[in-house]
Amino acid sequence: MNYSIFIYETAEDFAKRSDPARSEAHFGGWMKYFEGLRAAGIMRGGSGLMPPDTATTVKLRSGQRLVEDGPYADTKEQLGGFFMIEVADLDAALDWAAKCPAAATGVLEIRPNLPPMKQD
Amino acid sequence: MQVSLLIYQSPKGFAERDDPDQRATFWAERIPYYNAIRASGALAAAVALQPPETAVTLRLRNGQRIVEDGPYADTKEQLGGVLVLDVPDLAGAVDWMWRFPGLNTAVVELRPNLTPISSATAGPQKIDLEKAG
Repeated sequence: MNYSIFIYETAEDFAKRSDPARSEAHFGGWMKYFEGLRAAGIMRGGSGLMPPDTATTVKLRSGQRLVEDGPYADTKEQLGGFFMIEVADLDAALDWAAKCPAAATGVLEIRPNLPPMKQD
Repeated sequence: MQVSLLIYQSPKGFAERDDPDQRATFWAERIPYYNAIRASGALAAAVALQPPETAVTLRLRNGQRIVEDGPYADTKEQLGGVLVLDVPDLAGAVDWMWRFPGLNTAVVELRPNLTPISSATAGPQKIDLEKAG
């Protein structure tokens, strides 16, 4: 099955990205993790996201365009990236999620993907 | 540049998307939109998610797994999919956001990508409409 894993990171983990003393170790951990996913042949895509303060949220209500700065979800941990994996079942997805560098400090959300869209 | 569009669907949006009688109408609006993005060369990847009640969250605290049912964010609209776009600039991405067919009920969040999807991964899950059809 194909799962998406959304990585909700703490402010502290976001800060590591741009901290010269910690960024190398931080990104090194992620690279190693993704190498593991690729080596297992289960990686199906993914992206790191710029921090939540770069987010822009839009919606259309009664024909009016509404734009807000910042992320939609007002959560303690914030979305920092996502990736997709192809694994046998939810247990396998949870096993991989538990190895993710953000698991010990942040929150991982695991969601099965819909099959690719059909064009009639 | 690459950006991610995070699509937060309303409960009504999910209901339409997953209802056998309304599904065709729902996708009839969406598919031309995805095709237009792809025709412009801007579609890097796309993924649609099963509804929020299928979500599970995991935390690792003191070496112990804490697994809970349901999505992490307790929001009115819920994450229903992600589009990754290759665009010349942010304005190009915002144009696509305004053209999103469900924008009258959904919320779309734009976030620049830290890493391009193609270099971060072995093979992005692309919408392959010809193949799927």
